[in-house]
Amino acid sequence: MPPEATESKWSVRLPADCSIAAIRGVYDLIRDAFGRQHRLEIDCSIVDKADVTSIQLLLSTAKTGEAQGRPVVLTYFSQSLRNTLRRAGFTTDAMVEQHFRQEKDGV
Amino acid sequence: MTAMDPTEVFRQEASELFEVLEGALLDLGQCPDDRELVDSAFRALHTIKGSGAMFGFDKVASFTHEFETAFDRVRRGEIKPTQELISVALAAKDYIRALIEDPQSTDDIIGEAILDDLKRFVSSDQPSAPVAEIAEARPLAPGESRQAGWHLYLDFESHILRNGSNPLDLLEDLCKLGPCFVVPVTDGVPFLDEMDPEDCYLKWDVKLHATCDKDAIDDVFMFVQDEMKLTLSPLEQVEARAPAPLFQLLDEEPAPPVETVAQMMAPAAAVAPPLAAKPERKAEVASEPKSDIKSETAPARREEAKQERGIATVRVQAERLDELMARVGELVIAQARLTQLASAGSDLSIKMIAEEIERLASSLRDTTMGARMVPIGSLFGRFRRLVHDLSRDLSKPVEFVTSGEDTELDKTMIECLADPLVHLIRNAIDHGIEDTATRAAHGKTEQGRIELAAVHSGAQVLVTVKDNGGGLNTARIRAKAEEQGLIATGAALSDHEVHQFLFHPGFSTAQTISALSGRGVGMDVVKRTIENMRGSIDLSTKPTQGTTVTLRLPLTLAIIEGLLIRVGEGRYIIPLSAVEECIELTAEDERSCGRNFLNVRGNLVPFLRLREIMSASGTPDRHQKTIIISTGETHVGLVADQIIGSHQTVIKSLSKLHSDVTMFSGATILGDGTAALILDVAQLVALAQAQTEKQISEAA
Repeated sequence: MPPEATESKWSVRLPADCSIAAIRGVYDLIRDAFGRQHRLEIDCSIVDKADVTSIQLLLSTAKTGEAQGRPVVLTYFSQSLRNTLRRAGFTTDAMVEQHFRQEKDGV
Repeated sequence: MTAMDPTEVFRQEASELFEVLEGALLDLGQCPDDRELVDSAFRALHTIKGSGAMFGFDKVASFTHEFETAFDRVRRGEIKPTQELISVALAAKDYIRALIEDPQSTDDIIGEAILDDLKRFVSSDQPSAPVAEIAEARPLAPGESRQAGWHLYLDFESHILRNGSNPLDLLEDLCKLGPCFVVPVTDGVPFLDEMDPEDCYLKWDVKLHATCDKDAIDDVFMFVQDEMKLTLSPLEQVEARAPAPLFQLLDEEPAPPVETVAQMMAPAAAVAPPLAAKPERKAEVASEPKSDIKSETAPARREEAKQERGIATVRVQAERLDELMARVGELVIAQARLTQLASAGSDLSIKMIAEEIERLASSLRDTTMGARMVPIGSLFGRFRRLVHDLSRDLSKPVEFVTSGEDTELDKTMIECLADPLVHLIRNAIDHGIEDTATRAAHGKTEQGRIELAAVHSGAQVLVTVKDNGGGLNTARIRAKAEEQGLIATGAALSDHEVHQFLFHPGFSTAQTISALSGRGVGMDVVKRTIENMRGSIDLSTKPTQGTTVTLRLPLTLAIIEGLLIRVGEGRYIIPLSAVEECIELTAEDERSCGRNFLNVRGNLVPFLRLREIMSASGTPDRHQKTIIISTGETHVGLVADQIIGSHQTVIKSLSKLHSDVTMFSGATILGDGTAALILDVAQLVALAQAQTEKQISEAA
């Protein structure tokens, strides 16, 4: 089960459609969450449609968080998102971890 | 206008997908290493599964999913698609089709048995193809090197995603060329505040380990080459080896075994066959004969199909096309009446309008007829399965070659042509192609050959079924004809004339089949069907070399070009496609009354006096005309009072009351509103032949 949002950490759940057709809305959602919280946790469990734009948005979020010293953690990658990452060349967990910090064991 | 039932739309789409799936599976039997075929089969399966689930065909979705799962080892290149596996996959395809088209006829037990068979074949201990290839690859000698492939750097323009291009699809296509190692370059991805989420920032560094040429790579990026920078350079020559170390470089983890990598990447683009050169495929020991099914134009067509994907098409119900054609037919008739009225009057403006409407009606007719034309390849595809199954059932290896799939024919003709062709092909394999021992004795290859071809010839389409079997046994056919009293014993007949008895009703019996190397079963039905389509059938054979059956068909059944003639007070139409020439009946010919032969440039051509056949009253015209018609190689003259001219003939069927009138194949309405009967050319030729035979026997 994906974790519920708590006061200590803000969790934003990405919608099922994160393809270019809906990416602008997802972008606004992340920026909004990013502006309000120090630590951002992004729940990717129900992402059903993903493409290059979704990967770039997650990369940019991670890069921005790192530059600002604000932790950004991605949780519960859906299979669809994993497949898209692999198609883009992020073929191993190590590569994914290198670019996107993932939360393990619910931390 | 009524909306089409969505499930009906699914059924129609599924029907087309089944053709794709069947074609891909049959081709795979011949080209087991063709990744494009495997992918094509999977795309079709995947769409059937997805659409099935969407439209509530849960059983279809579930069975297809199991099918996909079982067949996945083929897709991953772990096992080769053997003939046995293809046969089971075809059975699975048939089962899915039955689930969609007639679910009541299906039985879960059968479905489970098919899946069990499929799983058994794919889980058998066949050597993993890529591993085997690595093992068999010749090791490189010290200092020896091979070309390692290509290094690519893909830099797309920022707007590329907005116009629907998907770099991930391109990467996938690239990886079909060979083992491919894709490293995403993320440096260009900006901070959140600076990014436009619809722009493309990612770039890719790709190492392609394949010996393909540059053109193959350019083909992948053909449609986006103006919107990207593609840097391409040959990889430095390196020793051939499995590409695993690249992963080590990337991840600093031990390289996974090839199989694991393949699994991990599926369905991703990143890994394909290993670097090692493919060893020549060893001959397989198959438990069934290998039917070699190929289209001479198949590879080219696949390429064309790829290029034509962008062409817009609209799905239209066949009945609507029929309705449109009927309306156009009515319009042509009304236009003919208008033209006749206009020509009878003196009003110039009416004449001009009539001419304009005639031009428009003619154009509309051509456009509508064009819309009804479909490539005959859609029909040819069905026979590949027939040949595959017959070859297996009769233990006769058969190569099936098709050509002219692009030849277009009216859709009604295509539908009517299916049964006769099934019959001819079945006959050719069952009775034409000899068993392997006989073929060997005649110095022939073990594998027989059936060629199915279509080609345009003027206003006709010629469809030929050719085999390289034993040919017809003329002596046995003749003996049978004499036995049945069809000809007098010892009558002088050419081989061609003897072979025509095969089309005689009742000539074929079970006993005859075994005695006559099998020709003739139901050939009368085939001939009748073809003649009903205003076509003709011809047959040629050479002992031990094979037989060719040629079908001559008009392009359409709806509107034909006709020759309008007058006989007495009646007017008749002769299909123009059957007309060879028109000549005047000379006084010498007239004097030949009783013999009924014309001398046409040294050839004797029998003729029929239509006045006698139609029982026309009144005095014949002084200068009678002869229209020479032909069916295949047989020529006959038809003597008429007057040739009026060509006529756009909208064909109307005769009523049931006239169904036993064999001399006419239909009727049409002329410009003045009167009806004209369309002469049945095949029947007239048969009548002339019978008359000739009678005269010959009387003379004898």
